[in-house]
Amino acid sequence: MTLELKKLADYKDIMERCIRCSMCKWIPQVQIKSWKYAQVCPSIDEYNFHAYSGGGRMIIALSLLTERIGYSEELLNIVYRCTACGACAVSCKYLNDLEPLEVIEALRKKIVEDGEGPLPAHKKYMKLTEEVHNPYGEEPSKRLDWLPSDIKVSKNSKLAYFVGCTTSYRRKEIAIATARIFNKAGVEFQLLGEDEFCCGSPILRAGGEAQVLDLIKRNIKAFKERGIETIVTSCAGCYSTLKADYPRYVKHDFKILHTSELLEQLLKEGKLKLKKEVPLTVTYHDPCHLGRCSEPYKEWHGEIMEPIPLVRFPVPPLPLRQGTYGCYYPPRNVLKAIPGLKLVEMERIKEYAYCCGAGGGVKAAFPDFALKTAGRRLEEAIDTGADTLVSCCPFCATNLQDAIKANNAPIKFYDLTELVLKAMED
Amino acid sequence: MIKDNEYEALEKIVGSQNISREPVILDTYAFQWCAELLNVINDKPPARYYLRPAAVILPSSTEEIQQIVRVCNKYGLKFKAFSTGLGPWNCVSTPRTIQIDLRRMNKIVKIDTKNQYAVVEPYVSGAQLQAEVMKFGLNCHMPGAGPQVSPLASATSMAGPGFTSASTGFAGRNVLGVEWVLPSGDLLQLGALGQKNDPDWFTGDGPGPSLRGIMRGFVGAKSGLGIFTKVAVKLYPFPSKPEWKISGESPNYKFEIPNYLKFYIINYKDWDALTNALRRFEEEEISFMCYYASRGAICASFANSREEMFSYYSIHTRLKRPLTLMIGAQTEREFEYKKKIVEGLIQETGGKDYTKKIKIRDVSYAEALRCLLGFHGFLITGCFQSTHGGMDTIEMAIRMAKLNAPIKRKFIEKGGIADDQGEGVWLATYERGHMAHCEMPTMYDATKPESVVGWVEYAHACDELDLKEHLGIPFFIEGDKQHEWYGPHCMNYHIWLRKIKEAFDPQNIADPGFYITSKKTS
Repeated sequence: MTLELKKLADYKDIMERCIRCSMCKWIPQVQIKSWKYAQVCPSIDEYNFHAYSGGGRMIIALSLLTERIGYSEELLNIVYRCTACGACAVSCKYLNDLEPLEVIEALRKKIVEDGEGPLPAHKKYMKLTEEVHNPYGEEPSKRLDWLPSDIKVSKNSKLAYFVGCTTSYRRKEIAIATARIFNKAGVEFQLLGEDEFCCGSPILRAGGEAQVLDLIKRNIKAFKERGIETIVTSCAGCYSTLKADYPRYVKHDFKILHTSELLEQLLKEGKLKLKKEVPLTVTYHDPCHLGRCSEPYKEWHGEIMEPIPLVRFPVPPLPLRQGTYGCYYPPRNVLKAIPGLKLVEMERIKEYAYCCGAGGGVKAAFPDFALKTAGRRLEEAIDTGADTLVSCCPFCATNLQDAIKANNAPIKFYDLTELVLKAMED
Repeated sequence: MIKDNEYEALEKIVGSQNISREPVILDTYAFQWCAELLNVINDKPPARYYLRPAAVILPSSTEEIQQIVRVCNKYGLKFKAFSTGLGPWNCVSTPRTIQIDLRRMNKIVKIDTKNQYAVVEPYVSGAQLQAEVMKFGLNCHMPGAGPQVSPLASATSMAGPGFTSASTGFAGRNVLGVEWVLPSGDLLQLGALGQKNDPDWFTGDGPGPSLRGIMRGFVGAKSGLGIFTKVAVKLYPFPSKPEWKISGESPNYKFEIPNYLKFYIINYKDWDALTNALRRFEEEEISFMCYYASRGAICASFANSREEMFSYYSIHTRLKRPLTLMIGAQTEREFEYKKKIVEGLIQETGGKDYTKKIKIRDVSYAEALRCLLGFHGFLITGCFQSTHGGMDTIEMAIRMAKLNAPIKRKFIEKGGIADDQGEGVWLATYERGHMAHCEMPTMYDATKPESVVGWVEYAHACDELDLKEHLGIPFFIEGDKQHEWYGPHCMNYHIWLRKIKEAFDPQNIADPGFYITSKKTS
């Protein structure tokens, strides 16, 4: 809601105000267009008990805070079987002002502060990030292994391509395509190489606030020392962490762009020319952290007035993150600029898009759940009649491609940059 | 507490992943909208939690439910079922009661376009059903509780008024064939579904005596007589072109208003003028929606924030008795005809057209069609509930609203409930004005004990008013205490209600907390 960082206890009033209406389980009601794609929360779709919904987790947080319940293995599983995708918060805030996602995040922080969590899989990647600066445990010296020898990289450009851990080590094709596009479009960029540390997103989502603060400070210092003014990311997680989360801890004035935003800008400036036909019917998956979760938090200095008894009235109005201003159109506009490509939409898109299932530490701790969720998303993509699924996040890419393989699904997957590169090739 | 052998017997039916007795899961079923009111009504502190169930179970079929109920009978466990679950009556009311969450039973079984009905399972929401039947140019009655709730629950177990009741009646009018698991575990199929040859869903009344009155009566037994696993509900033609085009991002959605649909807000100077207008508009049989909501409610229902709501204040002060009307048509000619009737009736009844002054956003049309306007009531204090309500004639509904206002003002002055100047009323016509529904939405703060207590004190005064002034059939008379107080004033109906419970459920296996208790075992 606001820039101010809060503890779980600060959300008590919000938790008590849940009316258990279950709006958090559905896409915004006026957006429902079918029985099949009406629901929005991967967690309750899989586990069914109310505890697994956004509202359910607010009740759990309240019960824990008021000592109605204590810690248990079941509690930890419920809290972490959530992709923290924020869809519950968008649906809740269509006609209310509660903050289920913020409560879930605050609950995870409390769990870590109390020494009760996170789960072993999260502890493992947190330790690896501390040791080798990426959650995969890969050698820092191999961070640029993806870089083809013919790519021109600037040493002192004010624009940095922040490749991200997943793109660097697991989805190298995205990094290669991005770098080639930049070269062809004449975008000078620098790479941080070994000096690029994890953005902290996986740690933050698991509740590791204390650990992430040092990382944030260190990264901001590194960006400043290199004279960086603009940071371009391939990864939706890096994007929202740098853009929305970092300012909550350390204020910065870097311009944060996702590749899709830069590509759209280049198209508008005529620097990016897409001439080659790419005859595909594609549907686009909105990554949660590029979309609804990328909205910056805003400063709020005011007070809650009661102009009429019992009617709470924040003055000035509280800024709500409702998913309104996520990055939805740049990827679509770039896709629409590719000759021969037909874009068809899924039912659940933009701020009410269904999560791929990988986020919030789920892929690490509950890979089966992650895969099942991706399978649900694939089904929706296939139902559009598309032959190709496109997205803009290496983490979504990994999980969705895992599901394509596991289900032998009749659909291909590309990152946006790969299709752009195809349209640029001579 | 549930014993290990009892739990294991249930676990065998649904599998270990679909049952739980972990406190972390049980607590999320004890927390309900208005549970704090229920606590105070039962002389307890105003906590947001009611009772924890002994276990929660998630069946996936009618057969599994029958087995669960039989296990309950065997071990003396009680059960309480709910579908989408909104409201305190979804809580279990006594210890050793298991909560049967019907979430996994979520299919639309059948849409019969020719005979205009749909068969649904418990966890199909109103919005889901509407979205599917719209594809055939049809519409369903949407429960007033919102598009996220279950039409099955509304049809079988709740009163079920709605914003479109003028043209779609209330939930009790829409129920056809029913599949019902009795407290014994036996299966009962109502109406045409019970026929030996070629069973179907098109009527709830068979060749023998109708059981629909027993099944739900006015407000339903709220799982106190068993579990409803499938229901057929009536469908209606969609009021206009069945198109649903919506763009933009939340909360600033843009809805392409389908052809031949129009909202009106018509202001009347007093109750008498409003009464006449309601009657006349309904006599002409032109409305899709026709209701009175207080001026504050009008401002709330067309705003999507408190700030926007208060920005309507100048209009608020000028509205006296506003009638909200929506007309729909299938053709241009029909639309023009209806608009002319409305214009003529506004003149005839002395109304003033305030539609343009309220600035109804296009998305409000979507919210109206989807029954989301009432949800805006939560914007004001974060919580509201109706103290009482009744269904009878337009005159009764108006009389109820008039008599209620001074009582409400008294409690507003005491400070427990929010100030709506005593005017918080929602009054909808049913079935072209043959009937009317009236209830008193009352805003309070669920997190403030004094407010919760204030609401309950006001509700008691409302119940007294109903008795003293014979204001139709009241809502919210549930459970032994309320029935035994109310029954002697009304032909001792509670004795008959208890006979029904005893006939169907002598052991009180189906949680009687929001119905009535069989005394045979006590």
